[in-house]
Amino acid sequence: MSIAVVGVNHRTAPLEVRERFAHAPRDVATSLERLRSAGAGGGVLLSTCNRTEFYIAEPAEAVPEAVWAILTERLGDGREASAYGYLQRDREAVRHLYRVSAGLDSMILGESQIQGQVREAWELSKAQAGPVLHRLFQTALSVGARVRSETALGTGAASAPSAAVALAGKIFGLLAGRTALILGAGDIAELAASCLASEGVRVTLVANRTYERAQAIAEQLGGAALTLDEAWDHFASADIVLSSTAAPHAVVTWERVAPAIGRRRGRPLCILDLAVPRDVEPAVGQLENVFLYDIDDLQAVAAHAAAERHREIPAAERIVSDEVERFWAWYGGLAVVPVLKEFRGQLDQVRAAELERVLKRLAHLSPQDRAEVEQFSHALLNKFLHPPTIALKQAVQAGHGYSLLESLKKLFGLDRQHGE
Amino acid sequence: MRVVLVPHLLALGLYGLATALALAPFAGLRPAPRALTLGLPLAGAAAQVVGVAQLTPVGVAPVLSILALFLALLQVVSERVFRAPAVALFTGPLATGLVALALLLGLGPGDAPSAGGNAWFILHVTLSVLGLALLALAFITAALYLLQFRELKSKRFGAVFRLFPPLERLDRLNHVSLVAGFPTLTLGVLLAVGYAVRYAGGMHVDPAQVVWGSFTWVVLGSAVWVRVVRRWAGRRAAFASIAGFAAVLLVYLAFKLAAPGTQRFL
Repeated sequence: MSIAVVGVNHRTAPLEVRERFAHAPRDVATSLERLRSAGAGGGVLLSTCNRTEFYIAEPAEAVPEAVWAILTERLGDGREASAYGYLQRDREAVRHLYRVSAGLDSMILGESQIQGQVREAWELSKAQAGPVLHRLFQTALSVGARVRSETALGTGAASAPSAAVALAGKIFGLLAGRTALILGAGDIAELAASCLASEGVRVTLVANRTYERAQAIAEQLGGAALTLDEAWDHFASADIVLSSTAAPHAVVTWERVAPAIGRRRGRPLCILDLAVPRDVEPAVGQLENVFLYDIDDLQAVAAHAAAERHREIPAAERIVSDEVERFWAWYGGLAVVPVLKEFRGQLDQVRAAELERVLKRLAHLSPQDRAEVEQFSHALLNKFLHPPTIALKQAVQAGHGYSLLESLKKLFGLDRQHGE
Repeated sequence: MRVVLVPHLLALGLYGLATALALAPFAGLRPAPRALTLGLPLAGAAAQVVGVAQLTPVGVAPVLSILALFLALLQVVSERVFRAPAVALFTGPLATGLVALALLLGLGPGDAPSAGGNAWFILHVTLSVLGLALLALAFITAALYLLQFRELKSKRFGAVFRLFPPLERLDRLNHVSLVAGFPTLTLGVLLAVGYAVRYAGGMHVDPAQVVWGSFTWVVLGSAVWVRVVRRWAGRRAAFASIAGFAAVLLVYLAFKLAAPGTQRFL
């Protein structure tokens, strides 16, 4: 019995490779079926933008190769997928999943989105997972929750978009129902606008020189589009202004927006300038109740939160280690009954063979004496088996039975695969 | 005396602990669980209710004790309802200090109110002190608002940025406490006038108290007026709240300096 993880992540493979390995939900079952055909007892596929990992229960020798074959096909350019990946077994595989679920292995340390992705992976693979991986993923989710509740690993805004949301949140509290004016219709503006929209912000206006693109994004987010020249008046009503145009100079100047901001009656205005070079003249930030932040400020907030999160790593790792041991104790307990049964069966075969051989030589014995000898062989076997059986059961109860089981299997050649 | 002192000493300890927990995150320690930050002041308030119930609310010490009790309760409400635990940074030490001061001044029974007017008098004291506590809360939230405002404006993302509530929430808490505090205090003062006329044989008040009392009422009323009628919000409203409470505090201190003594609160 064993567990393995085979895959790639953001540390081992560049984006260009990772995006080819990414599996759409409809492809998951097909890939897992291929692994089962190669001899896997069960499988779960975790596929996100930062990782593609196959978790496998009872992997036969050929299973890791089957994973690399699936991924190599997806590369489709002659490169070997195994060059970008890793294989971890047993405790290390369990530890790996627990660290992933806790956000310890994420690109942005402690990010919480991975919890949902682990849950989704488990639910998508439920039919092929089997009981061990079912339990493993269930516990991985509770480990992630425990790390987040008992440490500060998930606190603060550790990325620039989340820092933008955090800054706006420090001004307005709940962002749901607020209005945002987006200046610019490039990729960054679109990403930031989606980020705000996901917080419940009404992105009512998108203004840009290329009106058609602005209109397309606005429609997508349920907002309205404006030309840049129409935007200045909306500085009187919007709560958040997010600017990310490609202009080579400041487009939001004091002269353009001060009159509108003067009509706000003291209501705060949060301006997030994501453009380089900056879109917003620094003088605008001097206006009463205007909070102006540029990309450096957002990165400062993110860096601060990231530093705080790094301090929590030892505490989070301790929780992961505790939980790995707990899982392994359960897993070892699963294996003890079939292994003991096989161990006893194998020795009993030896006993029976030796008994038969001896009884052939002692043909003169009466049936009563033959029965006595047979009884003796049973008693001797039981006496021999009693101490190791007790020791093994005690080791399992103490949580370190698995290594003892492995030793037993090696010493007595118990290579058969054990079902759960 | 034991039934008054023991609950007050217990409350003092619990408020002190709650204050330490409120300050801990600023010293780089992990924030305490919410059950503790809510439970400690609530337990302290429960203990104090037992002590206050034995007091006649006459004199400085009993009134300070009741004020501490209301501040502790408002701290719990601020955290539970408005998710503004940073309020405890001010209310915690204030409640602790007021209980300590009340104990130092001596929590005696004081002069009993005139016969027949006990309920009227207790209602007057309760409403007046609750009004004061609400105005103190308005002052505290205004101060927190200005501190957070300064941090956000000057782009400092330290402990204040992380641990203080958002501006909008502080502004709303300020609004609620100011708008609730002013009529409560006004009603408390009107009950005092009614009590004096009906049970104490008429008003025996220094004209200076009337003039300065009216001045304070006008300053506080103006702070409410600009908030409710002129719809001021944010920084300007915070300054108005601070001016209102500062007027109450300064006028009270001036009266106490002019006529020292602990037998009467005012």
